[in-house]
Amino acid sequence: MGRQIAHRLLISIPALVGVLFLCFCLMQVVPSDPAMIIAGPDAKKETVDAIRKDLGLDRPIPIQFFDYIVRVAQGDLGRSIISNKKVIEELSQTVGPTVELMLGAMLLAVPIGMALGTLAAVNRGSIVDRIIMAFSVAGVSMPVFFIGLILIQYVGFKWALLPFTGREGPVWAGGLPSLILPAVTLGAVLIGPISRLTRTAVLEVLGADFVRTARAKGLRETAVIVHHALRNALIPVVTLIGLQAAFLLGGAVVTETMFAWPGVGRLAVGAIVSSDFPTAQGAIMILAMAFLLINLIVDVLYVFLDPRVQRG
Amino acid sequence: MTVTAASDLPAEPAQRETSHRAHVLRRLFRDKIAFGAAIVLASVALAAIFAPWVAPHDPYLTDLSKVMQPPSEQHWFGTDNTGRDILSRIIFGARNTLMMGLCGVLIGGLLGGTLGILAAFYRRADGYIMRVVDIMLAFPAILIGLAVAAIFGAGLTAVLIALVVSDIPGVARVARGSAMGVMGQEFMEAGRAVGVSDFTLIWRYLTLNCISTIFVYLTLRFGQTILIGSALGFLGMGAQPPTAELGMMAAQGRDFLFMAPHIATIPSLAIFVIVLAANLLGDALRDVLDPRLQT
Repeated sequence: MGRQIAHRLLISIPALVGVLFLCFCLMQVVPSDPAMIIAGPDAKKETVDAIRKDLGLDRPIPIQFFDYIVRVAQGDLGRSIISNKKVIEELSQTVGPTVELMLGAMLLAVPIGMALGTLAAVNRGSIVDRIIMAFSVAGVSMPVFFIGLILIQYVGFKWALLPFTGREGPVWAGGLPSLILPAVTLGAVLIGPISRLTRTAVLEVLGADFVRTARAKGLRETAVIVHHALRNALIPVVTLIGLQAAFLLGGAVVTETMFAWPGVGRLAVGAIVSSDFPTAQGAIMILAMAFLLINLIVDVLYVFLDPRVQRG
Repeated sequence: MTVTAASDLPAEPAQRETSHRAHVLRRLFRDKIAFGAAIVLASVALAAIFAPWVAPHDPYLTDLSKVMQPPSEQHWFGTDNTGRDILSRIIFGARNTLMMGLCGVLIGGLLGGTLGILAAFYRRADGYIMRVVDIMLAFPAILIGLAVAAIFGAGLTAVLIALVVSDIPGVARVARGSAMGVMGQEFMEAGRAVGVSDFTLIWRYLTLNCISTIFVYLTLRFGQTILIGSALGFLGMGAQPPTAELGMMAAQGRDFLFMAPHIATIPSLAIFVIVLAANLLGDALRDVLDPRLQT
């Protein structure tokens, strides 16, 4: 098992370099020459050149890229143009809320999606199946912000049941109410695809020989479904969650912006809108790395869930 | 399936081709949901194409005496915060939104399809091409959109680049898978044996045999592409005001959600209807043309 995980780690290195390179490029497009900005508008050419040399801007791009990687590894992402705070500090404050939001959404979407999918599969062709599938197609077609807008308007504003702007602290310190609406918004878009895939997976497993054996030896239907069918159907579902990571991340950016949730996505959008390049590239880098990490975790989980992968 | 390819063939297969197409269409339209979805999509597309003639009002004409009016007989979908007619703006916005989705899927499909087919044909390049595709897969579309907007500034071009890049990896994988299947067929070997050039082999023998799979996949992607595009528009990375684009219109309406909820909800609903119709039609098309793609 260790070998699979090591192999998977190795594969993610090119992607990581790709992410870093993209962020490095982002740093290169700062509208004007950083050396000129530091030297001031009236500086002599020699001064600008000296500063440029000092900053290492005269060296070849590959070496500058290498330097950049070293700096990133040391946690030096520059300073925000707007707040003059260190980007790494701003990021460390926003990562927690984003992780919280994503976990909240998953905690909501995975059980509900799997339950609906199983229910649809077990009642295949019935009215229950059709209603659930109609809901899931609708869910897949729904813009994230549509769900958010409706929740904000009714649950948040009209009925005043839950807060809908900002975060009132971590979940364990009374922040749960403010997490509910963003998590429901983000989770709602995931329920559709998860239930759809669970249905297909369970249907496939229900036709398998070992399910027939389990039934033949007189197991109760719930035991057959929960222990035999659902457990095996988990594998494609876990893969799907990996594939949905992009969806989850994109949805998180929109959700955070809508609910003024102080996460990385909102930081990134705000930084781009205000042309704060160092912050923007730091936030984009963290988001891309988070995406790589989610996929890595999913692949490792896959090895645990499916013993066949270990041998393969 | 192109005219040139069909005209070279003897008459009988050509007839079979049209009857096959008619058969597909018949099966597709026997499905009532698919038929309804096709009608919805077609009417939206027609309205968008002929927007200047269809739209009841000027989408950019502000009228401060009619600010934030709820839907009425004169303004079916009401007016926005500057008194512009929302229905007209939706018709013009659908133009941008549909174009964005269509260009994203077509350009992405062309590039991704080419990569996938080349990977299947030239086995030595396969590893390299698919590695590049894997790396592209490591960037979620929204992130690409944010990065491109940060580099080149927000606008429809930034969104389009993001959509194209995000569509490439999926298409490349589907095209490669389908082309690998075709590569194993005897006629490929026969073509090679009689000395057909690589170009002809790739185009006439390989591509034309994979195209329906790629087409079905792209139809399924269309809805998702629009969703991503409108999310980027919502974040302010896409079309800039006063241009009408559905995602951006929803974002603008957000500021007036409590006074006039229709300004934000109607454009969102329009996106939902377009994407839902595209998804339903895509599903039906897949069931008829290429059931193997089913997940």
